[in-house]
Amino acid sequence: MAQDSGTRTLISQAQLRRGRGRILYWTLLAVVVVVFTLVFLGPLYWMVTGALKSGQEIAQTPPSLFPKDPRPQNYVDAWNNLDLAKLLFNTFYYATGAVLFQLVFDAAAAYSLSKLRPIFGNLILGLMLATLMIPAMVLIVPQYVTVIDLPIVHINLLDSPFAIWLPLVANAFNIFLLKRFFDSIPEELMSAALMDGATPLRTLWSIILPMSRPILGVVAILAMTAVWKDFLWPKLVMPSPETRTVSVGIYAFAGGTPMNVVIAASVIAAIPTVIIFLIFQRNIMSGLTAGSVKG
Amino acid sequence: MAIIAVPGTDREPGRPAPPRPTGPARTSLGRKVRDNLTGHTFLIGAVACFAVFSWYPMIRGIVMSFQRTRRGETTWVGWDNYSRIIADPSFWPAWKNTLYFTVLALVLGYAVPFFVAILLNEFRHAKGYLRILVYLPVMLPPASALFLFKFYAYDPSEAGLFNSILKALHLPTSEWMQSPEMTIPAMVIASTWMNMGSAVLIYLAALQNIPGELYEAAELDGAGIWRRIVHVTIPQTRLILALLAMLQIVATMQLFIEPLILANGAGAEDSATSVAYLIYQHGFFQNDLNGAAALGVIMLVVLAGFSAVYARLTAKQD
Amino acid sequence: MSVPQYRKAAALALVAGLGLSLTACSTKSDDGDSTAGGKVTITVDCQPVGSQKELLQNWNDDVVEFQKQNTDIVVKSVSVGEQCNNPPDFTARLAGGTVTDVFYGYMTDLAQVLDSGQAMDITEFANKDNIPTWDSVDPALREVFSDGGKLYAVPVKNYSMGLVYNKVLFQQAGLDVNSPPKTWTEVRNAAKKISALGNGVAGYSEYSAGNTGGWHFTSLLYSQGGQVLTPDGKKADFNNAMGKQVLQNLKDMRYGDNSMGARQLLQWGDLLTNAGAGKVGMFIGAPDATQAIVSQFQGKFQDWAMAPLPGQDGPAKGTLGGGEGYFFKKGLTPEQVKAGMKWIAYQKLTPGKGQFDYVRAKPQNYPVGLPQPLLFAGGSEAQKQEFELRKANANVDTANFAIFEATPVPIKGEPRNAQAIYAVLDAAMSGVLTNPNSNIDALLKTAEGKVNQLLAAES
Repeated sequence: MAQDSGTRTLISQAQLRRGRGRILYWTLLAVVVVVFTLVFLGPLYWMVTGALKSGQEIAQTPPSLFPKDPRPQNYVDAWNNLDLAKLLFNTFYYATGAVLFQLVFDAAAAYSLSKLRPIFGNLILGLMLATLMIPAMVLIVPQYVTVIDLPIVHINLLDSPFAIWLPLVANAFNIFLLKRFFDSIPEELMSAALMDGATPLRTLWSIILPMSRPILGVVAILAMTAVWKDFLWPKLVMPSPETRTVSVGIYAFAGGTPMNVVIAASVIAAIPTVIIFLIFQRNIMSGLTAGSVKG
Repeated sequence: MAIIAVPGTDREPGRPAPPRPTGPARTSLGRKVRDNLTGHTFLIGAVACFAVFSWYPMIRGIVMSFQRTRRGETTWVGWDNYSRIIADPSFWPAWKNTLYFTVLALVLGYAVPFFVAILLNEFRHAKGYLRILVYLPVMLPPASALFLFKFYAYDPSEAGLFNSILKALHLPTSEWMQSPEMTIPAMVIASTWMNMGSAVLIYLAALQNIPGELYEAAELDGAGIWRRIVHVTIPQTRLILALLAMLQIVATMQLFIEPLILANGAGAEDSATSVAYLIYQHGFFQNDLNGAAALGVIMLVVLAGFSAVYARLTAKQD
Repeated sequence: MSVPQYRKAAALALVAGLGLSLTACSTKSDDGDSTAGGKVTITVDCQPVGSQKELLQNWNDDVVEFQKQNTDIVVKSVSVGEQCNNPPDFTARLAGGTVTDVFYGYMTDLAQVLDSGQAMDITEFANKDNIPTWDSVDPALREVFSDGGKLYAVPVKNYSMGLVYNKVLFQQAGLDVNSPPKTWTEVRNAAKKISALGNGVAGYSEYSAGNTGGWHFTSLLYSQGGQVLTPDGKKADFNNAMGKQVLQNLKDMRYGDNSMGARQLLQWGDLLTNAGAGKVGMFIGAPDATQAIVSQFQGKFQDWAMAPLPGQDGPAKGTLGGGEGYFFKKGLTPEQVKAGMKWIAYQKLTPGKGQFDYVRAKPQNYPVGLPQPLLFAGGSEAQKQEFELRKANANVDTANFAIFEATPVPIKGEPRNAQAIYAVLDAAMSGVLTNPNSNIDALLKTAEGKVNQLLAAES
């Protein structure tokens, strides 16, 4: 990022430009670049080429660096047999929905807790924050039983995207992040708007939210990642093959599919996210930065 | 619960609320009721979700742990589920494995990203490239990343990637997931590799907010690099460090997908079984949702106890 | 982005999201109503998935043909994945009540299905009127799906395990493909020779994870003449000389001879992947293991043959049999049950139709001539018909299975509460296969304690 090129960090710039410091700096940089490339890109190279190998070639000792007899068919099989298009669509669909639901409900709640401060607001915030300490695994069984038969309304949410979206709204961390950010917005802005006769909703839309874009971005990224990374919950609440996420789908197929095809599927599944990341890289990085500046 | 205040909120509860705008209109009762109503209207969506998917299941889990459902009929069984789950021979190994994983992941998965971030923050070149590299594994679906380790890296034969490298370097090879001593460390390595990207980025962001003058002042006082890290970097990022430590511990306690994929579940003689995996086994393989709920409650109690200790420790520091 | 635009975009996205989710919801809720317009509608699961192109086509053709013959019945097929009964998903469907009207399950699922309260007593409907071949169905199979004299499912598949071996590797190792090992000692010797071929080949391969280890332990124990549970089903019964022999054989091969390969903790697909790549000399399995090797794991049919399960000093004293059936969801109308029976009868229990349509299967990449599914009692009319058809249309060399078929081994079913017990026994299997210093006595003792405790909790 550009803004930090001039700032002073642990070691002063001047020290790194002079004689020994300079040599050390460049050596270290070279070592780190090589090591990081090997550690983080190496396995991915292994993945892309491994998926091109035949079953026999994978099992050979020592492993070959390049596939001798590349089998692009593995990729075609992976795409067709696992119905990856469907799996990817599902995952992005769930992720998008999760982002929307969290932005709408959590931002509204944080706004209320930060600026409107209704009676019992602190109690509610406390109850919400208490759930931060409860790992998902503790609740997995009762939550699952609840989703199967929602209390009062008796609706079964299995295989419905709401089974992923709604539980994610109950995210105390997001509400906490948003509330802290809203807290930092000067109260005077609020009262000025109220004096002008703006409704609380209007104030949220036209004053608070536009100022909070960085934190909204962070919440969106967190929501996306949560859906992308989650495994057991989607595995349980999306039992049909048509509703699975990528991660669950690949796992489900791994049991009955040759491993080179499984790896090929993994490569394909990673491509869209990598592309999205590379495109929005700057926004994501600055979003994370902005989020923690205030945090 | 005191623990709530821990993650970076230390200034929060004590801070006096900014004065509310006061005017003649605001004091009327009707107005107050209406304001509160508006406030709660904004809250309703999130509160409903919390109620249905978090607070209610919490209570339901405790209730379920004292019941047993057989042939569609539910009866109260007292502590039966607890005694059954504790008597399960996998119970103690599961706790041992989970705690071992948590501790090792704290050493490796927590410290490594921090030092990587400090290192990356010093570089003036190839910054973007290095950041993208570290973040790449985060973008793989977790199942994919783990299959990569399972099929290639941890192949116990000599055809395995890690074993080939070790052999080329004339180092002893390992059977990785098949060797009970290596199971947990191998899971920590895989887990760190695939998750550290986010932590590194968050640390980087935090590091960039440390005022440079602090380092300069420390340097003038004759502090070396290590002392500057200890006396400037760490205190300045304390908040975010505490928050991530907390989140990481809660996350690692839920160790599940690593044993499921890398070790096909239990691993060699229960060397990979985790508490979360045991919950899954009971709930969804052994037709024992009540036993699984009981284990969930036990996990909650353990975590609450841990949190209380943690909160006391951090409170003392302040 | 200026504020109004921001707002508009968000609103649009929200509307789009809600719209999509509504359509997604509406597609799934088409069960329930049973007799619309005088027609009986039933939902049936375990339709083959898209990747099994020919099987799916066959199934769909069968549905069309069946509906043509029974104009008052509508069959709605549901696919639940490539493995129709993946325990966690199956549990989810049972607990959530989202099973189809007629739903697939393993023989070992009966207890769980009954616990969930989802199964219907179909005793009065199981007769010749609804299933013409019902009287030919092996009574033992009907028994497995019965509880307290009441029938809960119609069996549609049945298998028993034998020794599957790779003929190519046998030849390379100088072994006679026509006289496969008959005892575990012979298996051990053959495995030694095969693994001597090097190149990562395992002479004998075995499971030890994902409940498959326990499943195979059971079969190996049966070959010794043992049993997993006492006859009353109340106690574990494998911590004895026979159980020890099973583990000792494996330990000797794994660490004494190093003839089982380096990769362990295998479960179903792992072993078959290796087998498909030509890296496995022998393993125990049902005849359809060869089918999976070919259709899913890139192997070749002609490489594989099958022999009866070996015993310790002579022929095996028993082998594991298992199978599948269709349950009926509680609350169906009698018409729906009858319709479901008729569909199962047509697709699963009629020689020459559905799964027995060998004329159709012959040119497809699915084997005809395998000695299964063994649904009909020996000597019954249907059994003879099916056998003739199978012989006439075989597309695999039946000689490969001749020894297996000519030397029947007594078949034993799976123990009560099988999946939970298998999970326990996995640990014993992984113990001997991954730890050179494993203590067999201790492993069995631990497993015994665990199983006893499990059984005590059940009652």
